[in-house]
Amino acid sequence: MMLNKKVNYRMPRNLLVLFELMALLLLFIYDKENIDKFTLISVISLIFIIYISNFVLLRISTGDNYIFLIVTMLISIGVVMIYRIDSTLGMKQVIWIGMGILVFFITYLLIKRIKGWENWAKLYAIISIGLFIATLILGTKRKGSINWIQIGRFSFQPTEIIKILTIFIISAYYSNYEKYKEKKYGPYYLMGIIYIFIAFLFLQRDLGTVLIFYSVFLALQFIYEENRKLILFNILLFVISGIAGFFLFDHVRVRFEIWIDPWKYIDNKGYQITQSLFAIATGGFFGTGIGLGHPDFIPEVHTDFIFSAICEEMGIFTGIGIIMLFLILVYRGFKIAINQKDKFFRIVALGISILFGIQSFIIFGGVLKMIPLTGITIPFVSYGGSSMISSFIALGILQVASEELDVEEKRYGEGT
Amino acid sequence: MEKELKRIIAILVIICILFISLIVYLSYFQVFKADKIVNNSYNKRLWINEEKILRGSIIDRNGKILAYSEKSGDTYNRFYNYGNLYSHIIGYSYREYGKVGLELEYNKALLNISESTPLKELKNVVIPNTEGNTLKLTIDHHLQAYSREMLKGKKGAIVAMNPTTGEIYSMVSMPDFNPSTLKEDWNDIMEDGESPFLNRATSGLYTPGSVFKVIPTIAALETPGLDLEYECTGSTKIDGYVLKDYGEKAHGKVNLEEALVRSCNSYFAEKGVQIGKDKIGEVADRFMINSPIPFDLPTAKSTFPYKGNMGKTDIAAASIGQGKVLVTPLNMAMIASGIANKGEIMKPILVKEIISPEGRIVSTNHPQVLSKGTDIFVANEVKNMMVEVIKRGTGTNASIKNVRVAGKTGTAENPSGKTHAWFIGFAPAEDPKIAIAVVLEEDGTTGGKSAAPIARNIIIEALNSI
Repeated sequence: MMLNKKVNYRMPRNLLVLFELMALLLLFIYDKENIDKFTLISVISLIFIIYISNFVLLRISTGDNYIFLIVTMLISIGVVMIYRIDSTLGMKQVIWIGMGILVFFITYLLIKRIKGWENWAKLYAIISIGLFIATLILGTKRKGSINWIQIGRFSFQPTEIIKILTIFIISAYYSNYEKYKEKKYGPYYLMGIIYIFIAFLFLQRDLGTVLIFYSVFLALQFIYEENRKLILFNILLFVISGIAGFFLFDHVRVRFEIWIDPWKYIDNKGYQITQSLFAIATGGFFGTGIGLGHPDFIPEVHTDFIFSAICEEMGIFTGIGIIMLFLILVYRGFKIAINQKDKFFRIVALGISILFGIQSFIIFGGVLKMIPLTGITIPFVSYGGSSMISSFIALGILQVASEELDVEEKRYGEGT
Repeated sequence: MEKELKRIIAILVIICILFISLIVYLSYFQVFKADKIVNNSYNKRLWINEEKILRGSIIDRNGKILAYSEKSGDTYNRFYNYGNLYSHIIGYSYREYGKVGLELEYNKALLNISESTPLKELKNVVIPNTEGNTLKLTIDHHLQAYSREMLKGKKGAIVAMNPTTGEIYSMVSMPDFNPSTLKEDWNDIMEDGESPFLNRATSGLYTPGSVFKVIPTIAALETPGLDLEYECTGSTKIDGYVLKDYGEKAHGKVNLEEALVRSCNSYFAEKGVQIGKDKIGEVADRFMINSPIPFDLPTAKSTFPYKGNMGKTDIAAASIGQGKVLVTPLNMAMIASGIANKGEIMKPILVKEIISPEGRIVSTNHPQVLSKGTDIFVANEVKNMMVEVIKRGTGTNASIKNVRVAGKTGTAENPSGKTHAWFIGFAPAEDPKIAIAVVLEEDGTTGGKSAAPIARNIIIEALNSI
């Protein structure tokens, strides 16, 4: 069994290293003037870290080892593109990835060692609301949304953490569903909390994240809510708040107008999305080749629009490849959930998979102009520390969820 | 658990559908929409390359530089040496106003960029392309300047070409504009009612009047058993409509040659009806009317809609170049060339060669027969008649001492009330070196009086200098 596994994983692991080495070689050809010893050492150590991580994970985790492999592939494509756009950002991203992997292992160990995650719903809610309030008070405005907190030289996006906390809240709620149902307003606790969060996000004008919260919540509610009327009610409310948002908030309307016809506003508000479309259209199926396109024409290309840059220089075949990688990641996540006997971690695994899926779908669809654009990052691919760290935390949790958690199951069984 | 599993799978299916729709949309976008989007003028990729490349020069057939680019600081500036003279040939290239003329049609050659393939892109990285190709035109700068001088202050067009090779020697359209001062003049040009941007030589559609009679003349010669004699009384009545000769002059008993020499309207109206629209139309088709002319600049299509519903009056009117017939000056010059060139119409050429920055000839536009207008015997017969037109007919103003000129005049009635004055011809008749079409738009005079002398002067100039 163990031997068989090793053979299975070795092949993709080696292919990944080959891909990374080739990308590195290409970067050398493209950017030979700017590559110094530091860059070289960091990049090679990153390749080494990724290889070792995949190796070590195989030893310590009895769970699913493909998800980390998929993610490291995504990371590799992303960092190559970011480095090509801006070598300083590329180097920073290398460091973020290193930290992300570290956080992944820490999360993995913490989540696995500490017991009782399903019992602390109140704590998660309090932390989340605390973070929301802190954002509103201390937050700085970027790209029209107030969702960053600046501490010294560091800035981070609290919503990235709140996303995971929300999944924990939902999971804790539904894994203790019987208990909550008996309380007077028990059935409405969760909805109350979620709508408070969504209200906060509206105040921050962070529409993309609203959409993510809503989707994750609705999907999990669809699976676990026994009162089916509540789901219908929520969907109705979703539609109504969407329409209300359109009429009440200018920024919602603007996004919609741009989506309908960006070419009309090509000089101003439609500039970014049309530049994105130019990039994707220029790339064709095989791309212009790394360094031969002009993804730098797109504002914010390294974060929200990294997908357009990849399509321009690596072609839409790579773009489709990335979409497929996410699809496999989501599929593995669902498989993990289905095989997980512990209800809390089952819901957590579902929540995280849906989060990865919906978040990447919203931004892929946005930059393609398939759906209205909302500025959010692609997990693991876009540049950014908060996004990278929180995505790795989520992945660490998913890794734990992929293992057989018999102990919890037994204890949980005694509890009820 | 069973219910839970079903619902989990339902959510998974929804996410799968979302992702697959992404892939389908992305492919659809790439296959059906990408081309149009890439060519949007807001796409900076289109001109980013241009700004790094020294745009090639444009020179005349003798190597005289007509347009060139020069580096100043980080950008390249385009210079047009002769202002208005080449406005309709070279056109202009500005980022704000786009491109027209050869600057547009030969943009890729001038920038030395070819269809992008990964291999060429790679080559471009290793050896960056910094200089574009030079275009060598068939235009003779001296004749071009002279032709414009002839048309100065008038409206209309002149096309002078080599009938045996199709090379265009001069091509003028008036009014014109100055590409060097386009920025300052833009608003005036846009508001000008005489449309200076229109290249009348290639895209102006005119009623040809009597110059068109060479087509029914050829049709008559190709129609066996047609009675070529006719008694002209100065006017004729066809289906109730009266067609008059110029000044209602009765030409008496005329044959085909006399009819052409004196430009007898009633003769051609009567004979045209006898020949029939299909035969005339077939000859017109062979002379490139009703079909797009392949050229280095965009061309309008001359029309003679014989396939549609045409009554006898329509056929009669068309036979004297009135009614539904519309032609471009370039097409008329090609018709004259065809008669001069033993019935063979050559493809008109404006760009002779594309020369690489190293001086190597990248491509050459070789003379090419475009269409066979008629056979050599008919062509010779018509040629002789056209010589008579100049010798003793309506075109005496185009006659040159010691040179046999062949030609035909035209005075075209049109809705403006002022006639277009036309002349087409070639010389020397025995060994044609130059063919020409002149049209003076809404000049109000006859072709023999105003267009013929212009053609004559240009023919003399061309025979002396080329």
